[in-house]
Amino acid sequence: MLVEITAVIRRDKVAPTMRALDNLGLGSMTIATVSGRGRQGGNIMTDIDREVPAEYESVSKITKHLTPASFALSHSLTRPVFWVPKRMLTIVVPSPMKDDVVDLIVSTNKTGWMGDGKIFVSPIEESLRIRTGERGTSSI
Amino acid sequence: MKMIRAIVRPEKENDVVLALEAKGFPAMTKMNVFGRGKQKGITVGPIHYDELPKVMLMIAVEDNEAPAVIDVIRQSAYVGYEGDGKVFVSPVTESYTIRTGMRSE
Repeated sequence: MLVEITAVIRRDKVAPTMRALDNLGLGSMTIATVSGRGRQGGNIMTDIDREVPAEYESVSKITKHLTPASFALSHSLTRPVFWVPKRMLTIVVPSPMKDDVVDLIVSTNKTGWMGDGKIFVSPIEESLRIRTGERGTSSI
Repeated sequence: MKMIRAIVRPEKENDVVLALEAKGFPAMTKMNVFGRGKQKGITVGPIHYDELPKVMLMIAVEDNEAPAVIDVIRQSAYVGYEGDGKVFVSPVTESYTIRTGMRSE
């Protein structure tokens, strides 16, 4: 049985997460550039702003030059829909390893501030390595 | 839980997001994708486009909320022409909030 672990995480946590997964023997993953917003809906960007630690220079840089209001004005929107840049890691692992991987991602990515991200676990019915045609657990 | 993946017209993205927000679903992930449908793209005069830009919205919801979300997307992303997009629903066995480590099913 294989499971797919999809983690939406901060941009600057990709390298530490990859290093930590490497130590667990999981080198293979898919990384995608996505935008996201959480339960706060991007509405209280000012609060997120205030709470983001100073080392998140990328976030403060964005909000310094592009406020939700200025974004709305430049795009002629009635009200701003604000997105936060994120990275999405997709890792397929055998189901016994699921808890280890989830714990590892949580401990590597936890800062305690809003915007740490989410992890979704979903079943994979079939998997196939294209080069050799192997199926199932031996394909990953 | 269910993961709802909606592939919609880029120009309808704002409408869909605002409509979902109004119904109480503000949390989602957005991804720019390229795709084509059953029509194999579109042909405008002599030019054939087989990769059309779309926006994929990924929304994780409780099982019983899925029909409501799909309904909102259907209404807000609807134009009536080919290329309005698709909605896919897949199972999510569990999810975690990284900030708190909280698990939910």
